[in-house]
Amino acid sequence: MTTDEAASSAAGIPLRPFYGPGEADRDYAELGDPGAYPYTRGRMGSPAARRRGWIHRELSGEGSPRRSNEQLRALLAGGALGIDVIGDNPTMSALDPDHPMCIPAVGTTGVSLCRKQDFVELVEGIPLDEITLSHSLPPAFALAGQYLASPCHGIDPRVLRGSAIQPPLYSEDCSYSTFLPFETRMRLTLDSIVFALREMPRFHAFLEDTYYISDGGLDAVEEMSLGLLEIREVCRRLLARGLPVDSFAPRIAILVNCRMDLFEEIAKIRATRRMFARMMREEFGATDPRSWSVNIAVHTSGLTLTAAQPANNIVRGAVQALAMAMAGVQGLEISAFDEPFRTPSAIAHQTAIRTQQVIQTETNITAVEDPLGGSWYLESLTDELERRIDAAVRQMEALGDVGTLVESGYFRNIFLHGMDRHSRAVQSGELRIVGVNEHVIAPEDDRFLRDIAEQRFEPDYAQVESIRAWRPTRGGGPLQAGLERVRDASADPDADLMGPIVAALDADATIGEITGCLREGLGLPGDPFEFAARRQPPGIRT
Amino acid sequence: MTGPAPGPSAGSGRPGRIVIGTLGLDQHEVGAMAISRILIRHGYEVIYLGRFNTPERLTAAAEQEDADLVGVSIHSWEYAAYADELLARCRELGIGLVLGGSVLTERDQADLLGRGADAVFGPYASEATMLRQIDAAVRRVRAGDPPAQAAPAQAAPAQAGQPSGTQPGRPVPLAGRTVIVTGAARGLGRAYTVELCRQGAAVVADDIDEAALKEVADAARDLPGSVHAVVCDVTGPDAPRTLLDAALRRYGQLHGLVSNAGLLRSGPILQLDDGDLRLLLDVHVTAPFRLLRAAGRYWRAEAKAGRAVEAAVVLTTSAAGLYGFRAEAAYSAAKAGVAMLTRVGADELCRYGATVNAVAPVARTRLTEWLGEAPTGPRDDPLAAEHVAPVIAWLLGPAARTVTGRVLEAGNGQISAPSTWQAGPQFPLPSLMSPEAADVLLPRVLASAAPPPEVLSSQS
Repeated sequence: MTTDEAASSAAGIPLRPFYGPGEADRDYAELGDPGAYPYTRGRMGSPAARRRGWIHRELSGEGSPRRSNEQLRALLAGGALGIDVIGDNPTMSALDPDHPMCIPAVGTTGVSLCRKQDFVELVEGIPLDEITLSHSLPPAFALAGQYLASPCHGIDPRVLRGSAIQPPLYSEDCSYSTFLPFETRMRLTLDSIVFALREMPRFHAFLEDTYYISDGGLDAVEEMSLGLLEIREVCRRLLARGLPVDSFAPRIAILVNCRMDLFEEIAKIRATRRMFARMMREEFGATDPRSWSVNIAVHTSGLTLTAAQPANNIVRGAVQALAMAMAGVQGLEISAFDEPFRTPSAIAHQTAIRTQQVIQTETNITAVEDPLGGSWYLESLTDELERRIDAAVRQMEALGDVGTLVESGYFRNIFLHGMDRHSRAVQSGELRIVGVNEHVIAPEDDRFLRDIAEQRFEPDYAQVESIRAWRPTRGGGPLQAGLERVRDASADPDADLMGPIVAALDADATIGEITGCLREGLGLPGDPFEFAARRQPPGIRT
Repeated sequence: MTGPAPGPSAGSGRPGRIVIGTLGLDQHEVGAMAISRILIRHGYEVIYLGRFNTPERLTAAAEQEDADLVGVSIHSWEYAAYADELLARCRELGIGLVLGGSVLTERDQADLLGRGADAVFGPYASEATMLRQIDAAVRRVRAGDPPAQAAPAQAAPAQAGQPSGTQPGRPVPLAGRTVIVTGAARGLGRAYTVELCRQGAAVVADDIDEAALKEVADAARDLPGSVHAVVCDVTGPDAPRTLLDAALRRYGQLHGLVSNAGLLRSGPILQLDDGDLRLLLDVHVTAPFRLLRAAGRYWRAEAKAGRAVEAAVVLTTSAAGLYGFRAEAAYSAAKAGVAMLTRVGADELCRYGATVNAVAPVARTRLTEWLGEAPTGPRDDPLAAEHVAPVIAWLLGPAARTVTGRVLEAGNGQISAPSTWQAGPQFPLPSLMSPEAADVLLPRVLASAAPPPEVLSSQS
């Protein structure tokens, strides 16, 4: 880069050639020590407070619940300290695997889950009282499923730790559509949080996931402003229900993205901790320090990884993970090197876990909290990001009712604009990516790790068959009554949805059936894909 | 960047129109959005269907909106379950099909192209490439509209993606035709490539020798046709897809294939080792077979889509394969295999508009060092490869449309059409013939037919 060219961060913040004391003249009290308000420098006071470091985990889930269970066990055997399980496309959309529209997608991008037994099989033999289980699944079903499954393995739901993503504002626009209107999605969020506070009190039932909303191409400011907007909206509604802020704020966690502008990403996390602390204490009046210091986990960006020269992705994951370790995150998942092609293969999982272990074990960077604190550049960037994120949140809140913005496509436009901006930057070469628009090699020379990355597996037809065979074996009475309760609750805007959902799932109703009843209660068609309900299930070419 | 493209509307009065969406539960819209915006910026009309589509939804919308193309963005393996149906529906309706997405490997891309997709893009395809191919696809689809335009394929020589214009005064019978030539860097392959370019063809020139290949491209620079060099080993299982893909990406269509790559491993049967044997069979039999299969599948898809092209394949056999060559049993057997591949390939591919012939060249190349050093230029050297090249060009051209399943032996100042194995005079075969009866009958049978020609040798 030439010196007369004005440099800027990935989010467009102008950068100076170097920074000095003049650019970061903030009073130290506003930074605070690590472990002290406003937690800019970290949630914990000393490295001793987290003996095992951050939670090493990797996104997992593949095929049937039993196959996924083997994957989870392999990850734990390899040293993972937590689990993040994602559903396949049907599960993420709260549809059953035997729907004709779903069959080609069963198990290929995550685990197939549609009934209580699936959750029981998924977590069999997993020490849920020792590790954390994070769900990247429709939250009401994730929480209900885990609540029902744990006692089957002799584990009291009250000791469960982990998290469930709550995506009421953005899920329809960001790949996790469940075909439910905004108000129903919000009710599911609020009811499932309330349920978990009561039944699974150690569980982070409100994980704000800014990863999946931002990995289409949003920048760090857009990511965190949308995330904080959603947190604020859900908090206001919980407060409006009469819950004290200190009853739920400690159960909020954030899962953020990490792209390649590493200082900006570190600054983003520090700014977010500070903003969250101020918001909780000064705006919502929280008095419990646990309400102020938010737990932040990170998933490194899949969008920054390339199909070209997959080995380069290992390097990207490593530098991102290093940055995040220095940012003091509580949990870390690296997008694996084969991410542009598939959900992680076993060797990609292992490489990602080993990357974390090498950073944790061999670099000594975890000996000291916030090792980059006091860097003139980093502190200046943290301040500037905070200003920009705060301004963006205020601007959006000034537009009026958030639900109206959701339904009118306001947020969808932001996401689409971000995607377009990203693809243009790649096309024009403005966003420089090694192996893509620079240092390109011919496809025939680009073979290293390809055999692994390009490996495919079939949809889990056996799981489809077993669900089909199982359906008629269910007892009819309690099942039908359970579904009827869900339908009635959905029709009544003041009713609790979580009780009926848990009862119906316990009575062997499927997630697809329950969600269908939620829709029917609102006068919508139960099957969002009626047009495809009689399709002949297509076969897969291999 | 190309700047404002002329767009697909040039000459046809209205902008290109495309229906874009994802299939099944594939919810990632990044690619669908990106390509929509690109196309809109370049003057296309985009009907954006978003997520949760089935083939019938996409094609019904395309039909209703009178769209030229259906475009599918792919971020999930689910597409594999829908591809056949989608291709069939598009073909039936005369709608073009373009697919793109990050999960599509080179192999997937070649596979979809081979099955009849108009264009397929993998991760990070350049905007210019995508526009060029989508423009070309729209033009092809419109050219295929039956009544409006006469002689669609030949009528528009200046279309995008087609080889550049003609040189006044010299006939260019191969203008507008795209031909793959393997082993194009040296000897016969080089001579073929240059001659095909001289006659106007666009040649996808394959060889493993990158430097020599570049020289061929340079040599053809000022000729009416063009050379697109692809460095690829024909014995690799992915080679046919790589070459087909290269042809379709670069020129949008494939009309011809010249399987020329060859090598020699000499030695009597008693001495030739397994490695050499395998190499000879791989290069001379397996590689042309696979190429023929890949090209044939592509032409079949084109024919089924109502876009049958006048396709031609020229394989390379040898006098060794027709008559045998001393101390070259493996090479001779391999080349005999090519001769029969020609016969049966011709029978199989004629229904898709493709001819399959073979040439047994006689020329001075690296394989025939025993012929000695060349005199001066090709004009003075009857064994120069340049003399064989016009035969290849003719077999690929419009005058040879009805010639298929034949072998031509050409070079050293002569050309002939050798005949193939013929049935001899028939004798009754006694049931459970005794050894004594065999002693009587078999010499009679053998005497009744002409003996095969002598095995050739470098001394003969």
